[in-house]
Amino acid sequence: MHEFGLMTQLLQAVEAKSREMGSRSVLAINLLIGDRASIVDDSLLYYFEMLTPGTLAEGAELNVRRVPSRFYCPNCDDKYTPTGADFRCPTCSQIGTITSEGSELLIESIMLAKEE
Amino acid sequence: MAVEQVKMVKNILTGNDELAARNRDCFETAGVLAVNVMASPGAGKTSLIVKTIEELSGRARIGVIEGDIAGRIDTEKVLAAGAADAVQINTGGSCHLEANMIQQALNNLDLSALDIVFVENVGNLVCPTHWALGEQLKLCILSTPEGHDKPVKYPELFAASDVIVLSKMDLIDLVGFESDFFYESVRALNQAAPIFELSCRTGQGVARWIDWLVGMKTAVNGSAL
Repeated sequence: MHEFGLMTQLLQAVEAKSREMGSRSVLAINLLIGDRASIVDDSLLYYFEMLTPGTLAEGAELNVRRVPSRFYCPNCDDKYTPTGADFRCPTCSQIGTITSEGSELLIESIMLAKEE
Repeated sequence: MAVEQVKMVKNILTGNDELAARNRDCFETAGVLAVNVMASPGAGKTSLIVKTIEELSGRARIGVIEGDIAGRIDTEKVLAAGAADAVQINTGGSCHLEANMIQQALNNLDLSALDIVFVENVGNLVCPTHWALGEQLKLCILSTPEGHDKPVKYPELFAASDVIVLSKMDLIDLVGFESDFFYESVRALNQAAPIFELSCRTGQGVARWIDWLVGMKTAVNGSAL
């Protein structure tokens, strides 16, 4: 459900950027979303289709690049993705620490149409 | 037609974050410590707020912004407990509070007459996490009956919190809560946040929480209670 609020904010940021760049049409929006951010792609798309008609982003492509959740194991000196049952390193079973990889909520770039 | 790729690398929630920064300015200017209280429904958010109001009676003027999908039961509870002021926000279905809702609530709250404001978020371990409201402290409460595995299932909230309360400690032996698993999971996510074990029913551990909160009020605002 928080995808509604997220999409509202996203579209405001994208529209502001397109106006700033002098474009009247957004062709694509490229997002970077971490797996720990609890965002459901289908839900994002649902609100995207609900909120974009009549805006600069109507008909744009919404691309989501996912970032896996990564932890750091000091024993192996390597990053790993926890299995889901606990936060242990799958190689040595030691508990590592969280890294920032996996919590991204970013607009990476947008593709704009520019009139000649 | 020409096509142009524009790099943004911008947090999706920047708009909300900007409003939150303005709310934070309001709290800081008034010398108020604002705490965003996040937990599942039934974890004991209102109980901890009520207990804190009672314990600090005569010492701190506490305001509460209550976020609920509907109703004003909690607002009435905190006022009955002695809250100096309380504002109810009904989100009408939304699963979390957003900074603009707090901005509106602040129109109905006289911060100059308050020392601490608790913002009781909508009961939910997922959605409130990424929405800054303007608080100086994010508080996450987990109650022992919910289970020791919650940090593994909902890592972001535990990672983002400044302080964690493990509530309903009076029930811990009845519900099979494994403390070791809980602590090792939380510490994988968050090495800095203090963790307070307490029970609002028996009063166990409450004094430590109150001392810490009073210390934070001084540390954050420079003005002691």
